[in-house]
Amino acid sequence: MTHLEQVLSDLKAELQEMAVLVQSQLKKSRSALMDLDKTLAKEVLHNEKRVNAMELKIDKMCENIVALYNPVANDMRTVFAYFKINSHLERMGDYAKNIAYNVIELPEPYSKGLMEKLELEKMFHIANEMINENVVALMTSNPSSAHEVFEMDTQLNLMHNKGIDIIVEEIKANTDKTRSLLELASIVRRLERVGDYNTNIAEEIIFCFEALVLKHKNTGTSND
Amino acid sequence: MAQIETKDLNFYYGQAQALRNINIAMEKNSVTAFIGPSGCGKSTLLRLFNRMNDLIDGSRIEGSVMIDGADIYARNVNVEDLRKKVGMVFQKPNPFPKSIFENVAYGLRVNGISSRSEIEGIVEASLQSAALWSEVKDKLNKSALQLSGGQQQRLCIARALAVAPSILLMDEPASALDPISTSKIEELIFELKKQYTIVIVTHSMQQAARVSDRTAFFYMGVMVEFDDTTTIFTNPKEERTLNYVTGRFG
Amino acid sequence: MADTKRIKQSIYFWIFRAMSMMVVFILVAILYFIVSRGIGVINWDFLTKSPEEGMVKGGIFPAIVGTLVLIAGSLIFAFPVGVFSAIYLNEYMKKGKVKSFLQLMTNNLAGVPSVVFGLFGMALFVNKLKFGDSIIAGSLTLGLLVLPVIIRTTEEALKAVDDNYRLASYAMGASKLYTIKKVILPIALPDIITGLILSIGRVSGETAPILFTVAAYFLPKLPHSIFDQVMALPYHLYVLATSGTNIEKARPVAFGTALVLVMIVLFTNIIANVVRAYYNKKYKK
Repeated sequence: MTHLEQVLSDLKAELQEMAVLVQSQLKKSRSALMDLDKTLAKEVLHNEKRVNAMELKIDKMCENIVALYNPVANDMRTVFAYFKINSHLERMGDYAKNIAYNVIELPEPYSKGLMEKLELEKMFHIANEMINENVVALMTSNPSSAHEVFEMDTQLNLMHNKGIDIIVEEIKANTDKTRSLLELASIVRRLERVGDYNTNIAEEIIFCFEALVLKHKNTGTSND
Repeated sequence: MAQIETKDLNFYYGQAQALRNINIAMEKNSVTAFIGPSGCGKSTLLRLFNRMNDLIDGSRIEGSVMIDGADIYARNVNVEDLRKKVGMVFQKPNPFPKSIFENVAYGLRVNGISSRSEIEGIVEASLQSAALWSEVKDKLNKSALQLSGGQQQRLCIARALAVAPSILLMDEPASALDPISTSKIEELIFELKKQYTIVIVTHSMQQAARVSDRTAFFYMGVMVEFDDTTTIFTNPKEERTLNYVTGRFG
Repeated sequence: MADTKRIKQSIYFWIFRAMSMMVVFILVAILYFIVSRGIGVINWDFLTKSPEEGMVKGGIFPAIVGTLVLIAGSLIFAFPVGVFSAIYLNEYMKKGKVKSFLQLMTNNLAGVPSVVFGLFGMALFVNKLKFGDSIIAGSLTLGLLVLPVIIRTTEEALKAVDDNYRLASYAMGASKLYTIKKVILPIALPDIITGLILSIGRVSGETAPILFTVAAYFLPKLPHSIFDQVMALPYHLYVLATSGTNIEKARPVAFGTALVLVMIVLFTNIIANVVRAYYNKKYKK
């Protein structure tokens, strides 16, 4: 393993840790929302600082690699892909924080029935799974599981559209709860956005590794 | 404690002052790069660490150079012992016109080691450390001059390692080599720093960036800035350093 | 324009070529001249017997031995002195006036006519030190004659050794003496041997320095000690050509002697070249 490969692999490990951190933020904001657990929500707000610090750290690592190693070709693509993935993960962390913020501001819990109708639990689950697939793709350098992410994003989009319709109906029926229902709509929208960022990450991974696959094909034919 | 340290070091070639008030400290098992334009004094400073400047008529030194806490310019210092502890690799690969084996064994014979089996063991280990063993193990008795430039330079590194130095000075070790050989030398430096303290003079800023932990920038005999390599190449404090690493002068 | 330039180029090219061909031609002519006239008298007796009948018959054995002895004697003296002083000049002396002066003097010594060496040798070795006309006086005189040649060629040989080798050796903690012994001399050896070849050629051919110090006009026996006189080929040749009892009859013997002298020089050159090639091979590739 060359020195640069070593450094890139360290960077990848950091990125994985970042993904796990964001994942845990999302999980906690889900629990906070489902159980109206404001203490947990506050913990999410507190942890957001860690996410930001980590983003800065990974940014700095990418900068250093570019400045010190002048990577080219696939090494360069990898660094830029990691750089963007890092930023996407941070945005997801922001959404987890926003959801937690919503929870803190919430005067009373949403009804269990409504939340079940919106399949909020499932939306969180899918978002979580998307991160999982991306991490697996990243760590194994195999973009095939990243392809799954697009499928899941379509699912999330549908659930989001359906959810907005449901909330609109709900607002019509309970005009006195319009404000808190609008908050709920923004939670649904945020989950949908988490899906979009995961899609972006999947694209970066595919871009990064399929170029590698192309490279392998070329060396294969040149040996013939 | 720093392994190499200079205090208020001034150096003169005759009337001309080549180094001005250098204070620098290098840690054990670290790689320090000296960068700067030609004639800035970086090679001169490197050669002070194993007293190669002794060979230059009319040179004069002020201040002190401490290695492992002892002043190497003190009266009772044996220069030959010092040079066994502080190995050196030169810009142009300079293996002796002897066999590959004899090149690596040279320093051992200087030290009076004559046991054949002991010499063979150290030669193999040194060639292993220099990542050259697998390429030359079947032709140890062939002339070293038959090797490629990159192999010759790694042979010179093996030769330096054979006498078990704790410090390795490298004076532009890759400037005469092609890119592939250069990257092999750089990977080797990365490996060697686990066991040796390395000081490398280089004209290539990329090389300094890739291989070193700390970087010192010299200009006209003055050490302008000495900091973590990352800092020097991403956020240097001095404007002259910034201009140099960004290629705006020099 | 271009045409005149090309014609000029071509004219000079042919001038250069003609001159170098001429050198070869002259050498071949001399060899042919000597071989064609000398080969007739060469036989076993000529090489192994003493001169007889006023030197027009018999052989030249004592002169061959004498020349070989003088080559060996002069080099035993001059080679170590020359090489050691060249080492001192090139490896130990700092640049400066003293060094320049020594080098100037060495060059001047090389320019002194050989007959002056002969006179000096006679004055110092034969008379002052009372060696008499002897092998030792002749060898020392010849040694003095070739000393500058050996010093200069050795110095050039040492200078040609890449400084990087010295630095590499010092950087390993080797002393100066060790570096000279193990690195510099082996690398310079082939070129030093070249100097030796030149010296042999010079020593074996000189007449003037031995004239007053060692050479015997006629001495049909071999020397027993270094204080004996000997015959020598160049002087023998000179005698045969100028002052024999019967110069005309001695002519074939003279050419035979010349041929033997040329052969000795050629033979020592070949041996030295083989040695040189051996060291070149051993140390360079």
